[in-house]
Amino acid sequence: MKKLLIRRALTSLITFFSAITIVFIISRLSGDPLAELLENPEVSPETVEALRRAFGLDQPLHMQYINFIIATLSGQLGYSINYKRPVLDVLIAKLPYTVALLIPAITLSNYFAYRLGVESGWRRGRKFDVLLTSSSLFIRATPHFWLAILFLYVFGAVLNWAPLFGAVTPGKVFESPWEWLLDYLWHYILPVSVITIRATGAMFLYIRNSLVEVLGEDYIMAAMAKGLPDKIVLYKHAARNALLPAVTMMGLRYAFIIDGAVLTETVFSYPGTGRLVFEAIIFRDYYLLQGAIIILTTSVILVNFLIDILYLYLDPRVRYR
Amino acid sequence: MSQTTVIRKKDRASRTIEGLRKFWRVFSQNTAAVIGLTMFLIILTIAILAPWIAPYDPYEKVGLPMQPPNEAHLLGTNDVGQDILSELIYGSRISLLIGFIAAVVATLIGTLVGMIAGYYGGLVDEALMRATDVWLSFPGLLLTIFLATVLIKTPIGGKIIYTVIFAIALNAWPGVARLVRSVTLKIKELPYIEAARAIGASNRRILLKHIIPNATPIILVAVLTRIDSAMLTEASLSFLGIGDPTVKSWGMIIHYAMIRNAIVIGMWWWFIPPGLMISLSVLSIILISMGIEEYINPRLRESM
Repeated sequence: MKKLLIRRALTSLITFFSAITIVFIISRLSGDPLAELLENPEVSPETVEALRRAFGLDQPLHMQYINFIIATLSGQLGYSINYKRPVLDVLIAKLPYTVALLIPAITLSNYFAYRLGVESGWRRGRKFDVLLTSSSLFIRATPHFWLAILFLYVFGAVLNWAPLFGAVTPGKVFESPWEWLLDYLWHYILPVSVITIRATGAMFLYIRNSLVEVLGEDYIMAAMAKGLPDKIVLYKHAARNALLPAVTMMGLRYAFIIDGAVLTETVFSYPGTGRLVFEAIIFRDYYLLQGAIIILTTSVILVNFLIDILYLYLDPRVRYR
Repeated sequence: MSQTTVIRKKDRASRTIEGLRKFWRVFSQNTAAVIGLTMFLIILTIAILAPWIAPYDPYEKVGLPMQPPNEAHLLGTNDVGQDILSELIYGSRISLLIGFIAAVVATLIGTLVGMIAGYYGGLVDEALMRATDVWLSFPGLLLTIFLATVLIKTPIGGKIIYTVIFAIALNAWPGVARLVRSVTLKIKELPYIEAARAIGASNRRILLKHIIPNATPIILVAVLTRIDSAMLTEASLSFLGIGDPTVKSWGMIIHYAMIRNAIVIGMWWWFIPPGLMISLSVLSIILISMGIEEYINPRLRESM
């Protein structure tokens, strides 16, 4: 068990360094990063040379790579042109908004996908199952950003139930923390619903099919033959085993949910890390984009590691070895 | 050319036809898959016939701006007076084409990686599969965004659209690599590969003559099942404003609608129809792939 844990931790570490390496390679694919400045008549060639030295771009490539890794590890992710602040500061200021979206979205979508998937698989081929299965296909086929747009249009613009942008009403003076929280939740409900629904739709079918497969096993028939109540057969025998392969999918789903957060925050002008990615694209804020990608990818690797541990804990075959 | 080769060729053709017939018998039993195929064929026809069925040129100002749907413009006009129905019809060409080409490129990369890893095994396999896992741990869309924004500065072949296709393909190959690797591992163990090696066939020959032809059906399915995610990625990229601003895919139409505040103003005819087209095309491909998977893996037939 301990050995396995150490091995998983090492693998995650290797993955992390490979990911940074890939980011470094991609960032050098476009050629000279200062080429645009060289063509700018307002910037003198001397300034560009000074910048080149300051950024260490005059050094050989392998030195640049080592510097890049050291800088990344110490949190120096560069400088945001748009915000005129270090990238890390910008990211940290916005991260809480995204984390507050992601944690409930992940928890709820996993729970819904689990409950609905199990119930649907149990009623295979009946109305309930057909309805849920086909809606999950529809959700899978719907672009994330378009689902967000539909929600914003219907509940925001037409019905006027929810605000059209932001995380809190801008310029509003709050008399108590409760009032702030209420306003925050009012802005929060649409984005979090969109991310949750899309993630549930993606996960549901996986659990359902996994359950259907488990239901065909002999031990299920044995449990039923013993005369156990359906609920116990379903949740104590079938669902637990159906869940195991689904847990390994959770890591991939987490990466997928982050993609969704980027798109959803963009549609709702929600001031999180995801929206920063969109702003970085629009304003060509290159270091901000790179920093956001490093932070979000690191979080994916971290979550994958935690899921691996969870899997070790959940699977008795591994736990008792 | 001896007579036997001619006969053998004929034999192979008739066997392919027989296989297709068998496939169709199973596939046509699946109502959802047939609906998907019908939907896909309709959208494909629209894409092919675009210049003849589109009422206007989608890049010309043909009416007053911001008109709601009316007789002259069935889906209204956008902020500069371009006909949205025509944009949709022409957009189908771009969205389908980018999705298809990106899927093909991704499959080529994935097949190459997966086949080499599966066939040679050992350290090569370990290294390639580790790289695949690292790639999979990226949030896919973010990686594509990063690649595309970096590469667009110096576009491949001078065209932004090629760059976007390349970026999408680079995101989608790992899944194919895993699939092809497992298929290669299976084929490699078959007795006739051993026989080929015994008579002195080179690795190259075994790969090209024996493994690739046997893996072809799986590879073709891989292309098909990548089209839907490639189309969704393209739509997301365009929506975020990454792409050729002068080439109007469905995602790009929605991008313009968003940055011109169409959602808040309530110009639903501008952003609902293109999203619906993306959903329907992706759905049709998902349904077709499910039909094919059911044919390949009969165990699934019982689970649906």
